[in-house]
Amino acid sequence: MTTLERLSKILVKNYKVDPERLTLNGRLEELGIDSLGMAELLFFIEDEFKVQLPFDPVVLPTLGDAVRYIDGLLAAQRVTETQTIADGAPPTAPHRPT
Amino acid sequence: MRRVAITGIGVISPLGSSAAELFANATAGRSAIRRIDETWCKRLVSPLAACVNFSGNEHFAPAKLRMLDRVSQFAIVAARQAIGDARFDIANADPQRVGIFLGTGMGGSQATDDGYQTLYAEQSDRIKPFTILMGMANAPAAWIGIEYGVTGPNLTYSTACSSSAVSIGEAWMRLRNGDLDVAIAGGAEAPLSFGALKAWEALHTLATEDPCDASTSCKPFSQNRSGMVLGEGAAIVVLEDWERAIERGATIHGELIGYGVVTDASHITRPTIAGQAAAMRAALQVAACAPASIDTINAHGTGTQANDSVETAAIKQVFGEDAYHIPISATKAIHGHLLGASGALEFALSLLAMRHEVLLPTMHLHLAAADCDLDYVPNCARHNAKVKTVMSNSFAFGGTNAVLVARSAAQRA
Repeated sequence: MTTLERLSKILVKNYKVDPERLTLNGRLEELGIDSLGMAELLFFIEDEFKVQLPFDPVVLPTLGDAVRYIDGLLAAQRVTETQTIADGAPPTAPHRPT
Repeated sequence: MRRVAITGIGVISPLGSSAAELFANATAGRSAIRRIDETWCKRLVSPLAACVNFSGNEHFAPAKLRMLDRVSQFAIVAARQAIGDARFDIANADPQRVGIFLGTGMGGSQATDDGYQTLYAEQSDRIKPFTILMGMANAPAAWIGIEYGVTGPNLTYSTACSSSAVSIGEAWMRLRNGDLDVAIAGGAEAPLSFGALKAWEALHTLATEDPCDASTSCKPFSQNRSGMVLGEGAAIVVLEDWERAIERGATIHGELIGYGVVTDASHITRPTIAGQAAAMRAALQVAACAPASIDTINAHGTGTQANDSVETAAIKQVFGEDAYHIPISATKAIHGHLLGASGALEFALSLLAMRHEVLLPTMHLHLAAADCDLDYVPNCARHNAKVKTVMSNSFAFGGTNAVLVARSAAQRA
């Protein structure tokens, strides 16, 4: 499943967004995700993609921006894991304990 | 000073989720107190509570529901009922002359408890993003204001068990002074989390379970009373400028005529006869009511050793010999103690009792304590009673004693 498909699943399930409206250019605010909703969406993204988001605020106006942001985090996480294994140290948990 | 009409009542309570259902069950003396069967109840000495049969999914869309602690859910739904009952349309009012006044003792305690569970018990850092918004004490009032576009004062009062009597009284004062035209006032509480119940248990104020019937465990004014049982819910009333209510042809449940608030300032939990009596006197004085004109009192009547004796003595001090002729109802015996919401719930019951001319029973009272020797309407409602003027008492940890006095709409129309 692609990042867009997984993100779309979150939006359909939790925000009842019409799947027809889910395009890369779709603005999240127009889909009903305001600044408060974004805080919650980031929480769901952490759960779904098993990534830990940086503490710094992030601005993601469109669905495409969110997809690129997640893909960037996943790529960075893979690099960290590869380096850790190459260094011979046991991999650390990429995700906060749940 | 302007007169203040009560034009709407909304209720989410252990005895029912409408004013009609609440009143029918209270009149019949049906108790909502039960043994609760959550897994964590094994760690409670006396796992009793009066729970509301309520599902947030039936009232809110999922995205909204995730932002609402149970206390806010109760408050919003009770407010919808009250506003609907009043047939009040905000579009026909100046929204800045409408206010929200809400009482709660513990706010969003379930959200706070869940957060601690995540953090300490599960050793996870993933606290839900809306924990602060759900837990903050003014969330219930804020959500009601947002839903109806009310831009006047939006105030939350937290004086423990008198919170919602205070909120109604403070709203009444603003209406009386002409500062507002309409107020949505009352209280909400959802304290039935493991953490909250355990903390109350530690205070040794909760009732022990009746070995024969758990539903009878709260026994106000009884010789064998052992404490209170916590309940949850919300009660909201719509208060309205009398002339405005008459002009638009509103149904008037009663007229709020008196509010007294007096603080003990002596002990954080122990009530005083002087403080309770002073609050009753203050309410009577503002209402310009002679003590003998009170037809019934909805007592604070918690079922604790301390309160019931002190309240009885305070009533005697205020009413003298008349105290023996005033029927007193302690309805917490069956709906439990809703803490910050109890004042509003009991005020709503007082209004309904007045409207239906019924004296509500104090259930589970078979042998009164020696120092509790007034007429508590034991175990059976009295119908066709003269109920034209009512008093509702709410006393609190922290010492804030609040008393409301209302009379029937027909009294001085």
